This record gives sequence, structure tokens and C-alpha cells, in this order.
Amino acid sequence: MASGKVSTRRAVPELLAHGQALIAAGLPEAVDTLLQPYLQGGTAPIPLWKLKMIAARRQGRLEEAVAIQKMIVDTVPGDLPAHYDLAELLLASGDFERGWREYRYRYDLAHTKILTRHIQKPRWNGQPIPGKTLFIHDEQGFGDTFQFLRLVERAAERCAGPVLLEVNAEAYPFACRAYPHLTVSKRGQLPPAFDFHAELMSLPASLGLRLEDLPGSIPYLQADPERGRHWEKRLNTLLGAQRPRVALVWAGRPTHPNDAHRSMSLQDFAPLAATGIPFVGLQKGPAAQQRAPKGLKVLRLDEEIQSFEDTAAILEQMDVLISVDSSPIHLAGALGRPAWVLLPFEAEWRWMAQREDTPWYPTHRLYRQERRGDWTVPVARIVADLNALATRSNGSDNRR
Amino acid sequence: MSETPTPPFAAPTMTLPEALQRANAHWQAGQAAQAEQLCQRILASLPGQPDALHLLGLMAHAYGHADRAIQYLREACASPTAAPIYWSNLAEMCRQQGRLREGEEAARKAVALDPTLSGAWNNLGILLQEMGQYDESRICLEKVHAGDPQNPRVLNNLANTCLRQGDGETAERYWQEAIACDPEYPQPYSNLAKRLTDRGEYAQALEYGRQAITRDPHLTEAYINLAAAEQERGDTGAALRWLNALLSFAPSHAGGLATRAHLLLKQERLEEALSDAQKAVIQAPESADAHYALGLVQQALNQGEAALAAFEQAVDLPGTKAEDAAIAAAVLHMEQGRKAEADAAFLEIAERFPQSVSAWYNWADIHRFRPEDPQIARMEALLADPARLPKEQMRLHFALGKAWLDAGDPEKAFAHFAIGNRQKRETFQYDPEETSRWTRNICQTLTHERIQALWNQGYTQAEDQPGQPVFVVGMPRSGTTLVERILAAHSAVTGAGELSALQQVLATAHYPESLQTASAETLRALGKAYLEKTGKLNPKTRYLVDKMPANFFYAGLIPLILPQAKIIWVRRDPVDTGLSCYTKLFSGEQSFSYQLDEMGHFARNAQTLLEHWQQVIPASHFMVVDYEAIVEDFDTQVRRMLEFLGLDWEDTCADFHNTPGNVRTASVNQVREPLYRRAVGRWKPYAEYLQPLLQALEQNHAVDAD
Repeated sequence: MASGKVSTRRAVPELLAHGQALIAAGLPEAVDTLLQPYLQGGTAPIPLWKLKMIAARRQGRLEEAVAIQKMIVDTVPGDLPAHYDLAELLLASGDFERGWREYRYRYDLAHTKILTRHIQKPRWNGQPIPGKTLFIHDEQGFGDTFQFLRLVERAAERCAGPVLLEVNAEAYPFACRAYPHLTVSKRGQLPPAFDFHAELMSLPASLGLRLEDLPGSIPYLQADPERGRHWEKRLNTLLGAQRPRVALVWAGRPTHPNDAHRSMSLQDFAPLAATGIPFVGLQKGPAAQQRAPKGLKVLRLDEEIQSFEDTAAILEQMDVLISVDSSPIHLAGALGRPAWVLLPFEAEWRWMAQREDTPWYPTHRLYRQERRGDWTVPVARIVADLNALATRSNGSDNRR
Repeated sequence: MSETPTPPFAAPTMTLPEALQRANAHWQAGQAAQAEQLCQRILASLPGQPDALHLLGLMAHAYGHADRAIQYLREACASPTAAPIYWSNLAEMCRQQGRLREGEEAARKAVALDPTLSGAWNNLGILLQEMGQYDESRICLEKVHAGDPQNPRVLNNLANTCLRQGDGETAERYWQEAIACDPEYPQPYSNLAKRLTDRGEYAQALEYGRQAITRDPHLTEAYINLAAAEQERGDTGAALRWLNALLSFAPSHAGGLATRAHLLLKQERLEEALSDAQKAVIQAPESADAHYALGLVQQALNQGEAALAAFEQAVDLPGTKAEDAAIAAAVLHMEQGRKAEADAAFLEIAERFPQSVSAWYNWADIHRFRPEDPQIARMEALLADPARLPKEQMRLHFALGKAWLDAGDPEKAFAHFAIGNRQKRETFQYDPEETSRWTRNICQTLTHERIQALWNQGYTQAEDQPGQPVFVVGMPRSGTTLVERILAAHSAVTGAGELSALQQVLATAHYPESLQTASAETLRALGKAYLEKTGKLNPKTRYLVDKMPANFFYAGLIPLILPQAKIIWVRRDPVDTGLSCYTKLFSGEQSFSYQLDEMGHFARNAQTLLEHWQQVIPASHFMVVDYEAIVEDFDTQVRRMLEFLGLDWEDTCADFHNTPGNVRTASVNQVREPLYRRAVGRWKPYAEYLQPLLQALEQNHAVDAD
């Protein structure tokens, strides 16, 4: 009759602190146990549901996470970061329609608000605008730009008017080669006048991109032929007739929010030594200097790589790129070059869930962690696949 | 990243027009940093340059720095060469910050400088709309609409003004046109939600409100409109959830705070309501809505003077709340017994807001209509207007019923009452059998034996502690307000009005089933919870009277959880009570009182419970007083009640109608008069109109005789 049970219950802030600590410690299963008595009635404060969603997602229970997150968004629709979380979950589960719609809240997060670009012209929603100029501009990491540049052609067809394309300086030469008929400018320069604008990653929503529309025409980017000739010579000198030619990237940009989970250490690749293959190290940044494990031969090119122009030209000469989830993966995919991608247990939305292939890049193969933080299983699978590749390559060499 | 921003003022030879053109182009392309650097360089060499100041203002506005933006625009407009559009933009920024007067001035300046500037007419139009000057607003917006007929924003603004003018049909048409022009534009959906709520189409209103939020999850009005729709269809919990959702992302939104204060007030969560209303006033000192909400809360907290001041401030401020606030002030006069002031205030309101149904409805209650009273014709004319909303029609029917009864034409009166009651009855679900089942259940659970078994286990407070509970219960309109006023005239008693405290405490208690097994601990917890709620009213006297009539359902439980509590049941001729209920549109929930047969059914259940309680509750805790006996022999009955409470006679009790203090129930005007006998047997001349009630009451006797 009365409320005698309340005394045994814990206050919400205390529960949250406990749950967040468990998540941070990599114990999402314990969060399920912790929250069970509070959530079983179906009504609980929203912060507890958010915690439950994170615990479900961490454990790979995507469907459950989507259901919880939908409920959260229905209850507190003004919580824009919750919309963004929902977008990631939906895109990961392949629900592109609502997923891309919710993705528009990517600039409403605490740390992205300041990045909002206030363009004083209306946003293009995919409608035909004959005679009007559309300004398409890229946004976030290099990888995003490489991944989504494929949509510019479709946008140009759909809007039926002139298109201005603006990308970061690194992607600029690729965009110029891919879209010689468009006016391309570098980010930061004053673009010509325009009537409508679209962020590059709003194009999926504007175009109504469906999963079955992927990958589109591959390759959609090309390496610079002159750089290509330079690297062909250089790699022939370095590697001779060695096959297969395998490039290696072991870490992403260290400032990426999920870098601790996605980046590896060169030491993690020790089992690759057994293949006897000399690896071409494309690693840039501070991780480039990591010591190689015993017996692993890494030809480090970081000092010779000035830009993605070099990376692309090298990838053209490689049989496969082995890499963590970082921008060279996307560059390889756009060039139509194969890559084997090492993914953390909780991978980004773009790699979806469970599958070993990706609809974005038919040339790629995914190697997922089966346990959080444990790279041994995916690395062992890579060793096996490398051995198979070596046998095939050398077999064909023998026949030659 | 190797970005190479073009250095501003790169060429030393760049002229001012070139630099301005370039700054603008950067801003158009969303390159704020470059645009700002150029503006600052221009201002360094040409202080006060209006075009650079204006551009800086636009950028500050886009980045959410409202005050800085307005400051830049004021400086830009201070220049004699300021373009008309700068004034127009200043006007809109002021409007968004609630600085309506400054905004209006700026907009007028803009259209004076350039009468062809349609954006300025638009901004002036919406400013005037927010200031309640609808006719001029409509002229401005029609002008803009004529030049730009497919603009969804203009259509939406125009529709808003039409609605405020009372032209709801045109408004709806414009909103629908706006949606057709741009289905992704959220505002018309939100406004239609509000309109459909007014029309009583709640399901559709909720759908439109959700559509608005899907398009813009931060559209604050949509949350307020959704809350209103939920509230109107009777789901206060859902209404509060929408407001909480709004305030979770906009914690200082004055409109949201003011609206939540209203709802919390309805739930008698006065402290929370006060806190919200005060925050709203701090956030938006020029918002009439905020002052109005604060006034209502202060009124409920018995802070009459402060409430009156808040209402008067709301009347004076620009905005659309003047009418409600003026009525609230008049009602406050009425509640505090200042009948002449109330009458004068209502007359003034009727002149200033001739379309105000609310004013007429409240006034009819205190005004005594004569047979040829011209005010009746004015109300009939209001009712005949086809634009009248269903809710307004209902209120006018009740007001006209009252008026024709005063004027001695019961046939016309009851025709109005019949329609008004039917309209009200159609707005909710009610099953009279539910009450019968509950009544039987209570009688079977709280038997004499059970009450004895649970006796003296509840929560006791110290004898000298003020605020000992007295419950005055009975049928609504049976004289409970009268008894409360008589008691409150005694120096040892405070009247708290109708409290929902007991219902709130018992909300999850599963009454009466749980009493089969309840522990002493549970009983004490409930009693304590009740006293904690009434303690917040800060009673200074020995007794505090809670006169929620419907507490009669809990009369047997009350002494179990509060062994010191006293209960007084006021009994009155059920037909007189029924007649009185039937002629009132209650502000709270009285589901049984809008259909005569259901009223009779309910009265029978009340009678059953009364007889049961008389047998099982000791006379030390429960007494019955007859309304008719009070009228017949006042002193004797008052002495009985005072004796029951252990109090000595005080002469002020006989003079209760002159006791200051608020009366917050439907009986507000009767208790301000000395006792009147005409209410005894009042129903007899109207018997022919009350047949279903008489039949339902008679069935009772037949059943009892079995």
C-alpha cells in the first residue's frame, strides 16, 4: 500500500555514476544486472535508459539498442544528441531511410555545435533546381570525404543545374580529377556565388540513398598518373618481384574520439612475421615510429609520403592494404583497391554489424574483434588469409 | 590540416565597397571567420561603419549571441546612412528577445524609410500581432502576402493574426496553404495543433503537434501546444511530460515555465508552481504570460495583493494575455468579497473585449439578471456567432441558463442548461456503475470489525501542533463551502479550501482493497504524508479545514491514518443539491453532475456511504450536519460543530460572510451573502425539468425497501 520499497532504492545520479564506471571499465554486462530492477517496470528516468542502450550496444545487441533509443527520442524529442545516437544505430542496422534523416543532427552535439557552418542560402533537399547553382561542401574527416564523394555525380544529375564542389585541400586533386566538369574549390577559399547548398554527408538523405544503391560505380577516384609512375619505379626498386605486395596501417588519427578502440599497436601484428612478407608501412603521424615486433619486416615510407596523392599512387601498386579503421581504407575503396579492415568490437556505424563484407566497398573484407580489446583472433584470420593470398600469388607467378 | 584562408584586405588597394562585398560573400558561404576579420579591419579604419556593424550583428545572431547582435544593429542603425533593412533586422531580433516596443519602433522606421521593403512589413506585422494589435498586423501581412503569395512563412504569420482576430477558418486555410507550399516547414503544424485543440479535436491536434516536432525538435511552441492538447483532453500527466521534454533542452524557456506553473497549480503542487512562475518572470520580465501565471499561483497561495499586482502588470504589458489577466483580477475581487470592484471590473472588460466569453461567463455568476436585462441579449448574440468554439458555446449556455433563471424564465433557462450539460458530458467517459461497485467494495472492506482492528495505529502529531486536520465532506454544492467559512471565522480555524492532498497520498495505495492487510507502518506513513502536504500551507491555527467534498469516500480511512482528525459530513436535500450541480460548470472534475439520472445515481451511493460511516465511525470523529438545519437554526448547529471540535463560541462565526479570506470554489458568490432561505426547497418550482433526477433518487427508495 505505502511506498516502503523506496528506501532500498538508489538515487539516479548514484546509479548513473556506478553504471558509467562499469562501462568505462569494459563491463557492460554488469550494467544490465545493475539496472534490471529499475527498468523492469518499463518506466524509468531517461538517463537510466540511455545507460542501458550503451550497455546493449557495447554487447552487440543492436536491435535492443535501436528499440530503446527510439523510445528515448519519442519521449524527449528535443534531445538532439539522442537523435544522433539513434542515427548511428539505425545506419548500423541498415535502416537508411530514418537513419540518414536523424543523421542531420550531427552538428547538435556538445562538441560539434561550434563546427556548424552557417551558410546563408537554403539547404537543398534533393529537388530539381534548374538554372540554380548548388554548392556541395565536405565536412569532417578525410575518410568521410573519400567515402561520400561518390554521391556528387548523382546530386549533379538530380539538381539539374551547375554544381560547385568544395573539399579539403588533401581531397582537392582527387575531386578535380573525378569531376572535371564541376567547379571545385578548396575549403577556406571564397567560392563563387550560389543559390542552394548541401553538406556532403547530407546527400544520402537528400538523394534518398538506399542500401541497395551501394556501392555505385567503382572506382570513383583516380590516383595522379605522374605520381603513379614515380611510385611504380620506387616500389619496384624496393620490392622487386615480391608478391603479394601488402601495405600496412596500424593506427588512425590519435584525436579521433574512438581512437583508443580502433587503433592498434605495431606489436599487435607480430603474428604476421610468420608469413615472411615484407610489409609496406603507410603509417603517418606519431605511431609511424613504433618499433616493429621481432621478425616483422616493415618498409616505412612515412617520410616519403607527402600527401594522399602519394598514398593513392602506392595503393595502386599494392595487392592489398591491411589497416585499422582509418582514411586510407576509404581511399583504397574509392580507387577500387582491396583492403582488409581490422575493426574493434564496437565498430562505427558505417561498417554495420556482424558482416564480413561492406556494401560501400566490394573490394574490402572486414576482420572484427570477437571480444572487446582482443585483436588476436582477427589478426590470426589475417595471417591465414595472407598465407592463402601468398600461395595464390606465387602460384600465378609460377605459371607466368 | 593545410587550409589556406584568403587573407582579408589582402590587397592594400581594396576599396571599402570591395571589402564589404567580400565580407558579405564570405558570410553567405558560411565562412564567418574571414567575414568577421574583414569587418573588424573595416571598423578599425572606419569606426561606426554601419554596413560592417550590421554584418557583425547578423553573424552574432546566427551564433546565438542575441544581446551582442542587437547591440551591433543598434550601433549600425545609429548611423544616418543605415539601410532600411538594418532597421528591419533590428526589429526582428528585438521581437525574438521579447523587446516588443523597441522592435515596433525599428520596424516602423524601416517601412518609413522604404515603404516597398516587404520584409520590414512582415516584421512589423508579427510584432503588432504579438502586441495584440491584430487589425493593423493583418493589413501589414496582407500587403506582404499579396506580393509573395507562395511564401509559407508569410502565410503562417498571416494565419496567426487571423486567428487572433477571431477568424479561425481563414487562419486554418492559410496554414494548410503554407504546408502545401513547403511540407517541411514546421510552424503551421504547430499552430494547427493549437487550433484543433480549441476545436476539441484532440487526437488530430496531437498528431499535428508531433509532425511539427518531427520537423523541428526544438520548436518550443509545439511542446506547449501539445501540452495544451493533452491537458484539454484530461491527461495532465502527459501534458507535464511534454513540458518537461521542452524544459529539458530549454530550461529557462519562460513560456514553458509559465505553462508548467499552470499545470502544477492544477495539481496543487504550489511550491513547484511558484518556483516555475517566479523563474518565468525573471527570465522574461516583459512577458504578460509569466506575470499572469505568477498571479494565479499567488492567488492559490492566499497572497491576494501580490496576485492582484501580478494580474495588473499582465494587463498592462503588451501581448495577448491582457483579457485573461483582467478577468483573473476581477475574479480575485469577487473571491475576496469586493463585489462592487468585481462588477465594475467585469463591465470594463466587457467593453474592452466584447468577444470575451470568459468575461461574460465569470460575470454571470455574480450579476443578478433582471427580466429585460440587455446583457442577456448580448450573450445570446455572442452564442449565435458561428465562429464560437464548442468550449465557448458550453460556457455561454451555462451563463445564459443562470441569467434566464434569475430573470424568471425557467423554460429558457433549462433549455440552455440541457445543451450546456450535454456538451460537457460528451467530452469525457464516465461509468456510474463504477462508483456503485467502489461504494459496495468500501462498505464490505471497512466493516466495523476491520476499523476496530486498525484503530489507533495511525500517525499522531503533538496536541499543541497547529494544523490539526478537519475534513468537511459531502455532495458538491451541499453546503461544504458554507460550513468551511463558518468554521474559518473562528480564531482557531483556517480554511484551506478543496485540497487534493488526500487523493494524492492515496493515489497508489489501492484503496480500499489494501486495508484488508494494511500494517500500522503503512497507516502511519499515509497519515504523515498527508500532514506533510498540508504543512506546506503553513497553518498558524489549531485546525486546518480541508473541504474537498469527495473525501467522503475515504471517511472511514481518515481516522485510521490520522487518529486526531475530525470529519464533518454536510447533508442537504439531494434534489436541491442536484439542481445546484446541474446549473454549474465545475472547474474541477465532477463527472457525475452533467446528466440528471447519473447525478441521482451518485447521490444514492453517497447516501449509502453516509449510512455506513454513521454505523462504523465513532461519534467522537464523525458528525453529520444538515444544511437545512443550519439555515433554520444557525446558532444551535454552529455550537454543535464547535463542540465537536472542542472549541468555544465566537461571535465572528455568526458573521462569517464578512470574514476576509478567499473562497475558491463554485460557491464563491453564495457564501458572501448572509444565509438565505430561498435555497431550501429551491427545486420545487422546477420539478418538471428535473424528472430524471427525481426518478433516479426514487429508485433508491424502492431498492432500499426490498
